[in-house]
Amino acid sequence: MNDMAIWTENLVKLYPGVRAVDGLNLNVPRGVAYGFLGRNGAGKTSTIRILLGLARPTEGRGRVLGFSVGREQVAILERTAYVSESKALYGSLTPRELVRFTRGFYPNWSDEAAAKYSRMFEIPMDRPFAKLSQGNRTKVYLLLALSQGADLLLLDEPATGLDPVVLDEFLRILVQDVIAEGRTVFISSHQLSDVEQIADWIGLIDYGKLLLEARLDDIKSQFRLVTVAGNGLPQTESPEVLLLASEGNFHKYLVKKNADAFAAELSRQGATVAEVSPLGLREIFLALVRKEDPCTSGNAGEMAAPVSSFLS
Amino acid sequence: MLLHVNPASGVPTYLQIETQVKHYIAAGALAPGDALPSVRKLAADLRISTNTVARAYQNLERDGVLRTVQGGRTYVAENPGSFLKSERIRRLRPYARQIVVEGTQLRLDPHEIMELVQQELDALEEVNERYGDLDRKSR
Repeated sequence: MNDMAIWTENLVKLYPGVRAVDGLNLNVPRGVAYGFLGRNGAGKTSTIRILLGLARPTEGRGRVLGFSVGREQVAILERTAYVSESKALYGSLTPRELVRFTRGFYPNWSDEAAAKYSRMFEIPMDRPFAKLSQGNRTKVYLLLALSQGADLLLLDEPATGLDPVVLDEFLRILVQDVIAEGRTVFISSHQLSDVEQIADWIGLIDYGKLLLEARLDDIKSQFRLVTVAGNGLPQTESPEVLLLASEGNFHKYLVKKNADAFAAELSRQGATVAEVSPLGLREIFLALVRKEDPCTSGNAGEMAAPVSSFLS
Repeated sequence: MLLHVNPASGVPTYLQIETQVKHYIAAGALAPGDALPSVRKLAADLRISTNTVARAYQNLERDGVLRTVQGGRTYVAENPGSFLKSERIRRLRPYARQIVVEGTQLRLDPHEIMELVQQELDALEEVNERYGDLDRKSR
């Protein structure tokens, strides 16, 4: 567990009336680009705030870069760069002053890197932060995070307000200056497309629980949508097979492993297997999130319409 | 080298890279001994994790398509077809089966399916000849 960049065990965070984080077990290997995905309110920001010591977990424990969350927080903060969701900094300070203020906290700070990124991002360095556009505020945050020489970057919705050109440039920098150096990037987002390009690991969170954690390419090579027609097919589900939708004799299954064997078994039971097809991350995400939603789970009929419309 | 990946597709990204490298070699655009971009360079160009590119290169190396020399540079292997013929046939068989199944479902007769394969072989050979000409001229 100590060789993980981030490791948590049964992390719980209760706010009045809300289980923001609900028994979260994260395993983020070192040196990967990890996409922490979930819709708004799924518990992403609460998790990051606990890891940084900004919130105290109700239950459970965790380690960041091998250091204990809560007990060794200074060691964690020295080695971790954080881009917050709110992108709020001292409004009266200019980016140049913010750089001067921030550099003292980080033993591995690089002035050359800061100068390089301020040029690349074309940041107005002498205008007060409060007067900057949303996009420029995000850029200032990225500049500060990238210049810290951190071993781990925790980026909470880092793409906010960035135009496509700057976002593309930022992704290139992340690959070249961070991931290629063996450092770890943890990106939280509800925008799949921002993350799925660069991420090689994925964690899907919903209602404070982790629905899926794996290497993205392994997910893509194993997860299959299996469409079959037939009577009396198994309605039962296993951890590896989810029944997504049924319409008359047609059934759609999301199979997480050994889809060909599953399809062959259904064929033996007399069903006609219409298709075994790969799925994009977006389709997998929607299928799993809809499945876990207490409003719709256990009611395949009600799910049939929306699921079949996005899968077709 | 002009590789392109589509992260939104259901095909694993490392597999997209492998397929394209193999295609360039089959078409003669990459010749034995040609250098490939470094893992870092290709990853930065494609905005994908270096781990993904490293995985693709490792698989291609394992298949005898690429070789990495000391110092980390990666080249197209001298004789990519060094596997036993039975092994090469075993690897191709699933694709042959897929062509047959899809072709039959589209109600093409066996002759038409074979014709289609032949056309693709001819097209590949044509591209090969063109690159061969370019090669000779550039030397």
